[in-house]
Amino acid sequence: MVGEQWALEETWRRFAPMVILLAKRTLGSHSEAEDIAQEVFCRLYRKAKNLEEPDSLRGFIYAIAVRSLKTELHRRKLRAWLFFAQPQALAGWGWRTMDMESRDLVRKFHVLLERLPTRERLVFVLRRMESMTVEEVAAAMGLSESTVKRSIAGASKRLSRWIEADPGLADVFDTARWGR
Amino acid sequence: MTTTEYEPNDSKALARLTDLYRESAEPSTPAEIERGFHSMRARVDSVRARETGRVRWPMLVAATAMCALVALLVSSVVRRRLPAAELPTLAYQIDGGRVLDGGYLRESGHVGMNINFNEGSRVALTTGTRGRIREVDKHGARVAIEHGTATFEVTPGSGRRWLVEVGPFLVTVKGTVFTVSWDPLREQFDLRLQRGRVDVSGPASAGEIALRAGQRLTVNLVQAKTVITEDEPALANSDAGEGSVLKSANPTEVTPADADHETAGPNSQHPPAVATGAIAVGQRRWSDELARGQWDRILEDVKRTGVDATLSTASSDELLAVADAARYRRQPELARAALLTVRRRFPNSPRALDAIFLLGRLEESRAHGSAQAIARYDEYLTRAPNGPFTGEALGRKMTLTVALEGPARAQTVAEEYLRRFPKGSYAGSARALIRVQ
Repeated sequence: MVGEQWALEETWRRFAPMVILLAKRTLGSHSEAEDIAQEVFCRLYRKAKNLEEPDSLRGFIYAIAVRSLKTELHRRKLRAWLFFAQPQALAGWGWRTMDMESRDLVRKFHVLLERLPTRERLVFVLRRMESMTVEEVAAAMGLSESTVKRSIAGASKRLSRWIEADPGLADVFDTARWGR
Repeated sequence: MTTTEYEPNDSKALARLTDLYRESAEPSTPAEIERGFHSMRARVDSVRARETGRVRWPMLVAATAMCALVALLVSSVVRRRLPAAELPTLAYQIDGGRVLDGGYLRESGHVGMNINFNEGSRVALTTGTRGRIREVDKHGARVAIEHGTATFEVTPGSGRRWLVEVGPFLVTVKGTVFTVSWDPLREQFDLRLQRGRVDVSGPASAGEIALRAGQRLTVNLVQAKTVITEDEPALANSDAGEGSVLKSANPTEVTPADADHETAGPNSQHPPAVATGAIAVGQRRWSDELARGQWDRILEDVKRTGVDATLSTASSDELLAVADAARYRRQPELARAALLTVRRRFPNSPRALDAIFLLGRLEESRAHGSAQAIARYDEYLTRAPNGPFTGEALGRKMTLTVALEGPARAQTVAEEYLRRFPKGSYAGSARALIRVQ
């Protein structure tokens, strides 16, 4: 039991920051991200005995996190449809080091991410924000590599189109402030 | 800022926005990770308790097989027992005091009290705070605050019901961190929500008031005034992030002066924006619509109500939401009118300071507006030397001064910027400016 406690604590300290950040980028809410992390580690506790190769722990945790996030995004859509309930957008995001313009851009971009279909959104976050390879994304999401590639292309196409349609987003990086 | 490998057909804007979004999500602090670990361990213990409960199942099933005639009776008994196994009884331990008859909480010293529950939830009462533990069982807890200030950190997702009576108000908790106070003499209720959600019901509202993270509710029954304000982002974050809220038994005291943020100024031509006995913000929900990107809906509401009527009746939060929506939709005149109204009607509120800064940003976007923008930033820097936009105002002032009066005149601003914000987003420009000189 002592060893189990130690392992749980060690695993949390090593991987919880990663899971919370992934969930935060996916859901746009710090408190919901913390809830997801707790759910992930509770599931991990129950399923740890199924883990055959200890080296694959990171991937195992990613896979559980992705499943939890997928469920949460589906739940959100259902809640929004049934009760017109909207999640708290970017709650506890941590704006301390951001200037006004950047905050506005992040808010606007979050609104666009919310419009993406669940699978495309998750694939986009994993590939573009977590910098995972196509193979890693495919493994974490239980998809084929070609499906992952199609989802990324689909998400990029949609986002680019929506950005183009919003002059406040499309033009902003052409200004001197952002031009690099 | 690190950049990722992008698809060849990505637009430049998409690539930059993705980078910005990724980098803007701040990682958890060590205190948050520590706090999360304790909550997670409590959940795992709860899972373990459930699993222990399940072990009895085969034995019970075997017993029912042997007694076929009483199978239904046994299974009904098992069904009755199962929920009890799912949630272990809530227990607590008190530091700095004890519980007397009737659940009355008696402080033993002068450093306040901490109540620690076995599922990870904690309550900290400041010195002199009077309260009672009304009820604690497997379904949850009911705590009463009769006078003073207390901070609650309730473990989310445990499936328990947490209720907090604060004077005549009832707070229904849904996994959260918040500080609540009740002053029976002034009949003032104050709740500051750092994380999660709560519902508040009481004599000032017809139904429940739902609050989200970063909001603060102040109700003064004598003045029949109900105000919801947004905490400054930095403040809300630091409260939620430091994890020290409950390490000390003295959470941040809510002073009476703080509660008057939103009171209209003495020279105001208009009545206070926040309706007495009702929540103006909750009725329009513009802040929520703003967060969801429904800017056109806000602007349609304004059009339907009329610009003048909106400006004279909306709360400061609503006016800032209108200003943001108008900025996003390139309607600078409406944005300016909303910001000037915030400044005029709520001169002493933090929102007025935000409005001054945002007016500076608007002036900048106008042709030949640089001098006015600098004047706005100067006003902001004088009135809010440590405000949330101080760094940004200094940086913008520096940039505009270079353009308007040349690098030599901007050097003082650059030096001040570097002294105060050595790692700020304008630090590179400031250093370059000083090097050139």
